[in-house]
Formats: sequence, structure tokens, C-alpha cells
Amino acid sequence: MKKAYLEFVVGLFLAIGIGCLAWMSIKVARKEFFARKGYQVQAAFSNGSGLRRGTPVVIAGVEIGRVESVGLADYEARVRIVIQQGVVLQGDTIASIKTKGLIGEKYIEFTPGASDKTIKPGGVIRETQPAMDMEALIGKYIQGNLAKPDDKGQPPR
Amino acid sequence: MKTLRCRLLALVAVGVSLGACAGEPTTQLRATTDKIIALLQDPALKTEARNSERRQLIRKELDQRIDWATAARSSLGRHWAKRTRAEQTEFVSLFSRLLEETFIDKFQTYHGELDKFEYLGEKILDEYASVKAQISTKDHIVHPVEYRLQKSGQDWRVYDVLLEGVSLVKNYRDQFDEILAKSSYEKLAADLRAKIPQASP
Repeated sequence: MKKAYLEFVVGLFLAIGIGCLAWMSIKVARKEFFARKGYQVQAAFSNGSGLRRGTPVVIAGVEIGRVESVGLADYEARVRIVIQQGVVLQGDTIASIKTKGLIGEKYIEFTPGASDKTIKPGGVIRETQPAMDMEALIGKYIQGNLAKPDDKGQPPR
Repeated sequence: MKTLRCRLLALVAVGVSLGACAGEPTTQLRATTDKIIALLQDPALKTEARNSERRQLIRKELDQRIDWATAARSSLGRHWAKRTRAEQTEFVSLFSRLLEETFIDKFQTYHGELDKFEYLGEKILDEYASVKAQISTKDHIVHPVEYRLQKSGQDWRVYDVLLEGVSLVKNYRDQFDEILAKSSYEKLAADLRAKIPQASP
């Protein structure tokens, strides 16, 4: 009787442990067992670097959706986003890719607009602002300085 | 300052434009920028005496191509609906005057920095279009530009410009949102009025 009880407790402990591991794996990988309640919209970014499935979408810092998938279409990043039911997006909502801190993870910020039209389920967010390419900007700054003509007006070699 | 200069070039551009897949939005955009660059390069209009005339001619071209009402409404964002009809009308006027004054001031200091302006392509989605372009300056710097246009009758009119991926409307929307979060619309309108020279027509 006592042995059976001990085996039951050990078994229960093991089951709880496996359950915790499974829960952590799901959370870390941001997988969902059940379809998220909401509606889907699309957005195209000329630079979608850092976006992946599960990337949060926020308005005023509050999460209102997540990226469902990221693909390439017509040499642009085509992003599918699932928005929480009840969140209304105006036709001129701007979706911009931001970074948490200087080198943190990417997220998408929606800035509400003023249009009378709203984005319907399956619709497209046409106003997008791509991720800032810091390397290109820094490179341009450096190159710009180097490329300035010399004092005699001659272009650099 | 440098960004503003680039935005100026983005608005002006094209004296030496190289064409690519020119649809209706690109063709109309090019027509306006061609006219503006011609006005800027016209030696007869560069004199001090004809300065005001040149400003008015540029303003006329900008008014025809830029959809000030949409740009202003979108820049005010979620605060637009809270304003009365009279305030909305006033805001469109203030916003357009602010941008015009800012850009036209910069036009006065334009000395032919533009080297090359290339249209890279356009996309049309219902009554909206985006035209991608790149500006090369004489000091060998290339700036990507994207125009966002909306069809109004037969005309395609610009309501936003992205330079280096940064949207003009988003920039103003963030600033107005910040000001309105801290103070009132009256304060914002007063700030805008203060930035517009009273002497200008």
C-alpha cells in the first residue's frame, strides 16, 4: 500500500515536471496549440529584417496582435498579422518596424490614423515604414564624408 | 537640416530624371517636379525682385500635386475626429502653410545639388499608389525616396513622402500626438501659427 502510494507520488511529480517542460517549450518557441482569436491583415515592408512568426504588434505599447508569417513577394517582406478581435484599424494606420532598445528584438508598432475607412479582415495595411538599416545609414554617412570633393573641387579617386 | 534638404530634393527633383516604367502616378509626379525644377533653375526668377513671384509659382505647383487635406488629417491621426469641423479646416490650412513655408524656404537655398533622379517603379492598389525613386546628389550620396499618392478624379496627389524609409506623415503624427498628450489642441494650433511667418500671403 505504502509502495503504491510512493510510486503514485513519484509518477505525479514526473508528470508535473514533463508538463512544465512542455509549457516552457511552447512559451519559448511561441507556438500555439489553438488558433489565436482574431482577424488577419497583411502588410508589405521594403525591409522586414528581424521579423518572424510571433513578433509582437503593439499600439501605444500594448500588444494587440502577433506576426503569423513572413514571406517574400515581389522582393518585399510580406507579413501576415493576426489582430485581436475588437481592435479596429483605420485605413491610414501606419505600421512601422521598431527595435526594443538599441539592439533589442524587433516589434511592429501601429500608429492609429484618422481615416473613416477601416481595414477589414484579410485587408492590407498600405502605410508601412520599414526597419531602419543602421549599417546602411552609418555606411552612407562615412561614404558621404569620404566621397566629398576635395578643396579643388575634384571628386575623390 | 540635411534631412530637410533631402526632402526638398525629394519634392523638387527630376531636372535630370531618368525614367523607368512610368505609369500615370509617375507621369503626373514627374510633370510637377519638372516644372518646379525649371522654376528653380530659371535665372530670370533668381533675382531678389522676383523672389516672391517664384515662391508663389512654386506654391501653385505644390498645391496642385499635394493633397494637403489628407496629409494633414493623417498627420493629426486619432485626434482628428475629436476636433470640430472649423478646427479641422483651420488645421489643414495651418499644416499646409507650415510645410509650404518650410519647403519654400529651402527652395531659396537650392543651388543645384541634385545630380540624378531615377524612378525605380510604382505600385497601384485600388485608388492608392506608391512611387519609388532615388536621388543622387553631386556629392555622390544616394537617397531612397518613396511617394505615396491617392487618386482624386483623374489626378494622383501626394499625401506622404518617405525619405530613407522615414515617413513625413508618421513623423508629424508622432510629434502632434506627443504635444496633444501633454497639452491641448489650442496650444498645438498656436505653436503652428507661431511658426508661420505672418508676412507671407
